[in-house]
Parts: sequence; structure tokens; C-alpha cells
Amino acid sequence: MALHVESVSKTLGAFSLHDISFDVKEGEYFVILGPTGAGKTIVLETIAGIHTPDMGTICWDGEDITHAEPRERNIGVVYQDYMLFPHLTVEENIGFGLRQKKMARERIREAVEKTAGLLGIPHLLSRYPVTLSGGEQQRVALARALILEPRVLLLDEPMNALDSAMRERMRKELARIHRLTGTTVIQITHHFEDVFALADRVAIMNNGTIVQVGEPAEVFWHPKDTFVAEFLGIGNLIKGVARRAGSLIEIGAEGGVSIVAASGDEGDVVATLHAEDVIVSKAPFASSARNCLPGTVTELVPSGSTIKIVIDVGFPLVALLTRESCRELEIAPDSRVYATFKASAVHVIPVNGK
Amino acid sequence: MRRFSLALTFCIFLVIAGVLVGLVLYPPLPALAASLASPEIRFAIGLSLLTSTISTAICVALAIPAAYALARYEFPGKKVVSLVLTIPLALPPLVAGIALLLFFGTTTWGRLLESMGFEVIFTPLGIIVAEVFVNLPYMIRILKSSFTAVNPRYENVAKTLGCTETGAFLQVTLPLARPGLVAGTTITWAKSMGEFGAVLMLAGATMMRTETLPMALYLNISAGDLDMAVAASVILILISLFALFVVEHFSDEAHVF
Repeated sequence: MALHVESVSKTLGAFSLHDISFDVKEGEYFVILGPTGAGKTIVLETIAGIHTPDMGTICWDGEDITHAEPRERNIGVVYQDYMLFPHLTVEENIGFGLRQKKMARERIREAVEKTAGLLGIPHLLSRYPVTLSGGEQQRVALARALILEPRVLLLDEPMNALDSAMRERMRKELARIHRLTGTTVIQITHHFEDVFALADRVAIMNNGTIVQVGEPAEVFWHPKDTFVAEFLGIGNLIKGVARRAGSLIEIGAEGGVSIVAASGDEGDVVATLHAEDVIVSKAPFASSARNCLPGTVTELVPSGSTIKIVIDVGFPLVALLTRESCRELEIAPDSRVYATFKASAVHVIPVNGK
Repeated sequence: MRRFSLALTFCIFLVIAGVLVGLVLYPPLPALAASLASPEIRFAIGLSLLTSTISTAICVALAIPAAYALARYEFPGKKVVSLVLTIPLALPPLVAGIALLLFFGTTTWGRLLESMGFEVIFTPLGIIVAEVFVNLPYMIRILKSSFTAVNPRYENVAKTLGCTETGAFLQVTLPLARPGLVAGTTITWAKSMGEFGAVLMLAGATMMRTETLPMALYLNISAGDLDMAVAASVILILISLFALFVVEHFSDEAHVF
């Protein structure tokens, strides 16, 4: 167990953390997922030593670091708005930590060049942060933290300020850096895509507490309470291997079933599909929709005016019907039905280099 | 509306510029030069420069930690402290001066300080004390808003990169607050050069002893020596222009970060 956080509580103005406990293993990519205002940033800042917990302990490899100064912890932080020092050049920003160690100029320069090379930013060294794009600033902020070879790298919503194309590239970049450096990473986010693309394990946070910790699949398929289920409320998650099929892709999922999705990604993927987008019928449904899977109803879960139906199509697929449609279609456990959905309703998340 | 407001602006410009230029051009140039070179004015320039520079340095040294504390930390009674620190801003300098005079002249504390050699009443030292008392609140206010404008997360990052709290302040927050520091220092210095009321009350207007530029102006106009009074004024105008220029320049730069 590398990082051990036990029963940490902290009140800071209007925000507070209650009884936060979790462990992060050495080399692990740990994601904390939760809505805005859940207290995620305070958790990171407390681990970094910016705040001292009111109660509880933080240990690293069995050593109590609860009251250690931030500079004694060797924990790197990258904020979502990067916080590059505007009065210093990129080179001075990256070398900032080594300069505190009173390292010789030439050795700092060598280390900066090496780290900048790792992140693909050697051409930016003489520039000032104001002149950089968001993605470039983020790489500089990562380099500034990584140059000290931190035992943990804390990332505060690193993808938040980027557009979706840049986000995807940055995810790949983070996965690559994690693989290359082997650093333990704790990232906070409110995008569940990040979890599938990057996380070894995930903690779900709400209202200043951690609701559930586990491997992504475990948390998504077995949400502990209604908050987790609703926060992750996407209905269906389908794991599989994607390969190109014309302008679309075909995902080989569990149970030998393959589904068609409108995407260009190949390799390991997780696909999401909203329960509302699944049409249920007794006979094959003639439409332009590319997916029509036969299956057996295994479960009916009433919720308000709708009923959640679980259909075994080779893997459990969730559909949502009104009570009226359910009655008209005479759906009961063990009914044979067809589940139909469009290729464009399937959202594909590539899983990077795990 | 456009024509009227533009015409009015131009009129105000003409009046201000006219009044000041009129003052500078009042004595014939040789007379002005002679006054500027006179021992009395030279003494006043020297004394003003010396006392203003020392009092500004004291203000900067005291205001940096005080402004930082007000910008970053929460402590009991913060509102009251803030308010009291602001009072001298709104106080007429004459009132501040008489309060200082009574404090140093009539209280046990004042006498104790005097017996220890800290003589301020009617001495050049009194000029410095009066200037610090009147100007410190300005310096604290300007610096406080500069420090507040610097995101504390810069310091957080610096601390995780190996800085102590002081190191993070000196290497990150202070450089980022530089425009405010330069502007504040300049304003404080210029105000010290022109300080009259508080200095008059505490240090008095003794010729060739506590005679700063404003005192030289006051003493000479009282004695009817207009040329000497104008000479002192001309220098005070130049100082104001310089301060204005520096502040304008750096208040633009203040938006960079």
C-alpha cells in the first residue's frame, strides 16, 4: 500500500470532507470521480499537504505524513488551470523545483531538456506561459511536476479546460506518461470516460465523502447506492474489441455478440448506450437501425412511471419502457424479445494502453 | 451631447494646464533659476528627498507583511483591524498631525521614547514619523489588493515544488504583485514629498531645520517671497508628473497577470 488515507475530515469555509478513507497502490492510476462541488480538489490539496486535516491520518509506505510540509512530501500537483508562473519562461517553470534544491545550472538545464523531450515540448522552452495554448500549458505543468520524479502525481481535472478532440489526445498522453514513468497517479474528474480510458481503480465522491471505491467495472456494474447509479446513469456499458467495418466499427462484445457503432476507434473499447435508446419488440423490428439483437428478458425493475428491463442478449442489456408499452407487449421474465438500437446511439470510449 | 462633452473636457484641460503653466511662468526665468539655486531651496529639496525616501522605505517594509496577512489569512478581529488601518486615509492630515503631537508630547509613552533619544517634536525625525503615519495605510491598501489578485494556488504549487512559505512568497507572489508594489511605492513617495499638514503639526516649520519643500513654499509665501514659493512649487509639480507617469505605466502592466 503506497498511499493510505484514513478517516480524514477537513472543514474549509463552506466546503468540508467527512471521514475520507482510501488506499492507492504503488504505480496505480487512481481516479476520483464526482460531481462539481463534491470536495475533490480539497482531497488532492490535503494529500499534497496544502491543508492539514482536522482529523485522520495520511501515510506513505507506513510513514505518517499527515503533518509534513508540502515540500517534504515529494508529491506533484497539476491544477486544472495549470498555474504556470507567468513571470517565468517555460524553461524556468520546469526547472523551478530543481532550482529549490540548489542544483547546478547545467544539470538543471539537462534535466529540463530531458523532461521537455518526454512531453514533446522542447521547442517551447524560451516562451512565456501566456503565449501557449491550453494543451501546451498542460504539458509544461506536467513537466514541471514530473521533473522531480514525484512519488505521487495529483491531477486536478486535467482535461476540463480542453475541447473534446484535445481531451482524447491528452488521455492518450497521460496513459503514455503513466506507462513510461511508472508514477502513481491520482486524478480527479467528472467525466466517466476518463475512468475507462485510464483508471486502474476509481473512487466515487459526493458531498465531501467517498461513496464507493473499486475497479471501474465493479463500480459501474454494481453501484453501491442510488447516487452512484444515477451519477453514472448511462444504462449500458459494453466492453469489447472494435474493428473497422466500412465507415462504421463492429464491436465484438461478450457472449459472441457483435454490435455496430458509429465511430472510428479500433482496439479495446468500452461502449455506452442509454437505456432510453433501446427499442424493444416481440418480432424483429424493421428500421434503419443497425443493431437488432434477440434475447431473453431476465428482470423487470419498476421505477416510477417506467420499467427497467434487463435482456440477456449474450450480455445483460438494459432498456427502458413505459408501463403501458410493457403491458401491450406482454413482457414478462423469460419473454423472447428483440432489442433494437442505432449505430449512432452507441458511444465508444477507447481504452488506452492498459 | 458629443460636441458639448468634448468642448467641456477641452475647457477643463485648458483651465488646469493654464493654471499650472501660469504658475511656472510667473517669475522671469533667471529669477526662477536663482531661487532654485538658493541655499534655502537646495536645503528643502535635500531634506524632502531624504525624509521621503526613508519614510517610503519604512512604509514598504511594514506594508508588505501587513498587506499579505490581510490578503491571505483569516484571524479574529480582522474587520476591526482593517478598519483602523484605513482611518488615517480619511483623516485630514492636520488632525493626524495634532494626534501625533499630543501622543509624543503629553503621554508617558511619548516621554519615554523622548528620554531614549527618539525626539520627534519639531525635529527632522518628526517629518519621517508623520509621513509614515499618514502614508502607511495607502501602501497597505494598494499592496493588499495586489496580493489578493494573485491566485493562492501559485503558492500551493510552489510549495509542492520545494519552496518554504517564505520562499513561495518571495519567488512567486511578490514578483506577481510587482506592478502594485511599484505603483504603491511611487504614490507613497510622491505623497511624502508633498506632505504638509501632519508634518507642520508634528515637526513644525522651522527654517533650514524642518523645512521640506511644502514648508519652504508656506514660509516664503507667508513672508511674501513669491519667487521662492514658486520655485518650491515647480519642483513639487515635477514630482507629481513623475509619479503620475510611473503609476499610469504600471497600472497598464498590472493587467498582464
